[in-house]
Formats: sequence, structure tokens, C-alpha cells
Amino acid sequence: MRYLVSVIHDQASLATAEEQAAIEVFNERLQDEGNWVFAGGLAFPGAATVVDNRGEDTLVTDGPFLESKEYLAGFWIIEAPNADVALRLAAEGSKACNRKIEVRPFL
Amino acid sequence: MVAALTRRFGDLDTAEEAAAEAFATAVERWPAEGVPPNPGAWLTTTASRKAIDRIRRESRRADKHREARLVYGEPPEPAGAIDDDRLRLIFTCCHPALAMDARVALTLRMVGGLTVPEIARAFLASETAMGQRITRAKAKIKAARIPYRVPAAEDLPARVSAVLAVLFLVFNEGYLATGPGTDPVRHDLTAEAIRLTRLIRDLLPDDGEAAGLLALMLLTEARRPARISAGGELVALDEQDRGAWDVTLIAEGHRLVRERLAAAAAGAAPGRYQILAAINAVHTSARDFRDTDWSQVLALYDRLVRLDASPVIALNRAIALAEIDGPEAALAAVDRLAGPLAGYHAYHATRADLLRRLGRGRDARLAYDRAIGLAGNTAETAHLTRRRDRLG
Repeated sequence: MRYLVSVIHDQASLATAEEQAAIEVFNERLQDEGNWVFAGGLAFPGAATVVDNRGEDTLVTDGPFLESKEYLAGFWIIEAPNADVALRLAAEGSKACNRKIEVRPFL
Repeated sequence: MVAALTRRFGDLDTAEEAAAEAFATAVERWPAEGVPPNPGAWLTTTASRKAIDRIRRESRRADKHREARLVYGEPPEPAGAIDDDRLRLIFTCCHPALAMDARVALTLRMVGGLTVPEIARAFLASETAMGQRITRAKAKIKAARIPYRVPAAEDLPARVSAVLAVLFLVFNEGYLATGPGTDPVRHDLTAEAIRLTRLIRDLLPDDGEAAGLLALMLLTEARRPARISAGGELVALDEQDRGAWDVTLIAEGHRLVRERLAAAAAGAAPGRYQILAAINAVHTSARDFRDTDWSQVLALYDRLVRLDASPVIALNRAIALAEIDGPEAALAAVDRLAGPLAGYHAYHATRADLLRRLGRGRDARLAYDRAIGLAGNTAETAHLTRRRDRLG
């Protein structure tokens, strides 16, 4: 079972060196214990572009599709047998990156 | 399986039909949802729920007797697959990833066997809304793979307290039911909460808070016969006929409190349910309201405040304080809670009572009016109205 673990942040600040180091340690653990699928940090929402090619013309719009104070700062995709394990890993991830986290199962 | 069901429900017809219904459900669901890890236990649990549903449907009167038996403890069943299965079910229904109202509804439905209309009525929701709440919760359990199991040891303390919080909420809603059209006391809810807490207590005998919550519920339930007057009015602790209290429930509650006091003496720090149970043990030990050991009550509230600094606990502490330092000191303590508790009926009711005792009739009347406006329980409204009208 795969879960998307989203990192939610509400300020224009990147991870500090200390947070980055804690994230590295956490990532290594995910890899060692077989929970790792993929992870990455994302550029600020201002760098986003929305593309809509459902109609005749391709519409390209500057900015994120959702304007809100809180934004997606990065994510992990983890492999976990059930929600208890996923939530426990998410709690550790939240501690490591020092940010709020959303856990959402893949279909 | 039918034998076990018969032992539990005392009726072969109920057992057989429940077993047949459980198999039918399995045939319907297993191909789509997969065979559960312990199929035998699953069938027995499902059949038990069907049987409870059937008993509820078929005979309300006989049901009352059965419920009474459940409150006083079921005849002991051999522990094993059935209990393990029910415990797993409770932990799944009370999973912290579910919203609190969904946990309560799901627990009553899946573990307690209450029907959706019954749960909807208890929480003043429409049947459609309650049905959706339960369906959504089940869908989340499935999609997020909330496991059907007793949590791992490191998660257990937090998860047990999540279960106890749900059961406490169910009990309180039963004990002081809200809504103009409902009975002031919903015995079906208090009985169900006691039954499920008893189950947790039996399954986790070393958990002090499970014992504490069970004792708290028993000692509260014991006073129920004296709590509502013949005229449907709430009777406060100082006016209750203590001879009407249920001595059997009190004895069991006291036994549990003594057990926890011994554990505390041996170094186990008591949690909030254990302290609340101890406070109720002091009240139920007094033959007369005037004999209440208020210094003991106040000391227990002081411990509770250190554990949980919520304004509601501070309010209850002030009520005990009034009996030791007098209503003036208590009123000063209560008035400090005006900010957080302005919308809470018990805050105004307590103030009204203290103002009345201080002879400030006009202020008391205003406070009673505020309390009556905020109270949601019919018996409580009647009680407050009488006290107000007696001011003259």
C-alpha cells in the first residue's frame, strides 16, 4: 500500500541546515526498512504554472491552481502495510522536517 | 458458533437466525472485500451483532431486562477469539485518523449494534446525515487501510485513551441527553457505554484508566434512580434520596476505586478518570450530603487541575470550594472563568446557586435565566426554572 505524505508549510522559508540533516537521517531509515518509494522538495508555489489543454486552445496560467496561505512544500511516497505504520512514519517525518504533514492513500 | 451465541443470548432461535444472517453477510461481502484474517471470529461477531439487532427489534421490554444484565456484567464467557475480535473492532472504530463524531457513531453501530436511526436520534442528527457519516468513516477505513487489529504496544496507551474518550462521550450523552424531544436520561446509551468499558477493562485489566472510567460510570449510573423526580425534574446531589441509589453498582465502583488507590500507593500515577472516580467514590460514601468529606473532594480536584487545567474542571473545583471556604470565595473563583465558560450553562447555573446562597436574589435570577437559556436537557431546565422561581 502506497501513501502520499505531503509536507505543508505556510511561510516562504526553506528547510534549515538542521532540518535538512534530520530529513536525510529519516530518508535513510525509510530506505533501510523498505518504506522508501520516492521523495522530493518543491520550489515555491510562485514557480508553478497551470496548463489546461482540455479545450481547443492550450491555456497556460502563471501561478499555482490553488491560492492559499498553506502550500505543498514537498512530499514523500512511502510503502506501508497499513495506516498505523503510515501515520507513525508520518509523525517521524513531521518531526524531522519540522512541518505539518498530510497522509493520503493511493487508490 | 450457534452454541456460543445461544449461551450469550439465551435463545436458540435468536442464535440460529443470527448465525444464518452472518453467513449470508459473509457470502455477500467476502468475495468483494476479501476473507477476514480470522473468519470464524468474524462470523461470530457478525452473528452477535445480528442477534442484538434482532433482540432490539423484537422486544423492547425484554430488551430492557437484557440491557440491565449487560450493565451489571454479562455471565462470564470464555475469553478468546470473540473478545479479541471485538477488541480489534473497537480499536478500528476509535482510530485517531477518524473524526471524533465518526468514531462515536461507528462504535455504537459496529460494536454496540445500535441502528442508524437510534444513533441519529441520540445525537440529534438526521438519519441520512448519520448514515453518511458512518458510510464515509467506513470508506476511509478501507481506502486508508486502517488496520483491524489491536495496536502495537508502543501505540497502545494513546489508542486506549482514544477509545475511553469515545466511551466517556457516549456515556455523558446518555446521562445528560440533549434535545427537547428526548428522554432526559438515555439509559440505552449509558448501558452501552458501561458494557463496552467493561469489555475494555476485562481485556486490558492492567490499564488503570479503563478501571477508572468503569468505576466513574458505575458510580454515576448508581445515582440515576434518584436523579430525576417523578415530575421529570433533575434532582441535584444535595436533594437526592440516597436510599434510591443502586448499592450493587456503588459496591463495584468502590471496589475498582480501592484497586486503583492501591496501585497509586504502589507508585502508579492516576489519570483523570481515576481521579474523577475517586471524587464520585467520596460522594457515594456519604450517607447524607452534609456528611460529604469536602476536603477530600477538594484535594482530589487539586490533583485533577494539575493534570488537566481546563476551565470546566476549575468550575467543579469551585463547587467543592464553596462547601469549605464558603460561597463568596467560590464565586470569586467562578467569576475568573467568565471568559472561556460564558456559553456554558453549568457556569451560569453554578453562579446562580452561589449568588442565591449569598442572598443576591436579583443577580441570581439573571444567572438562572442565562443558564436556562443555554441548558439543552429538559430535566435540567425544569430544575433550574424551579430554583429560579423559588427566589421569590
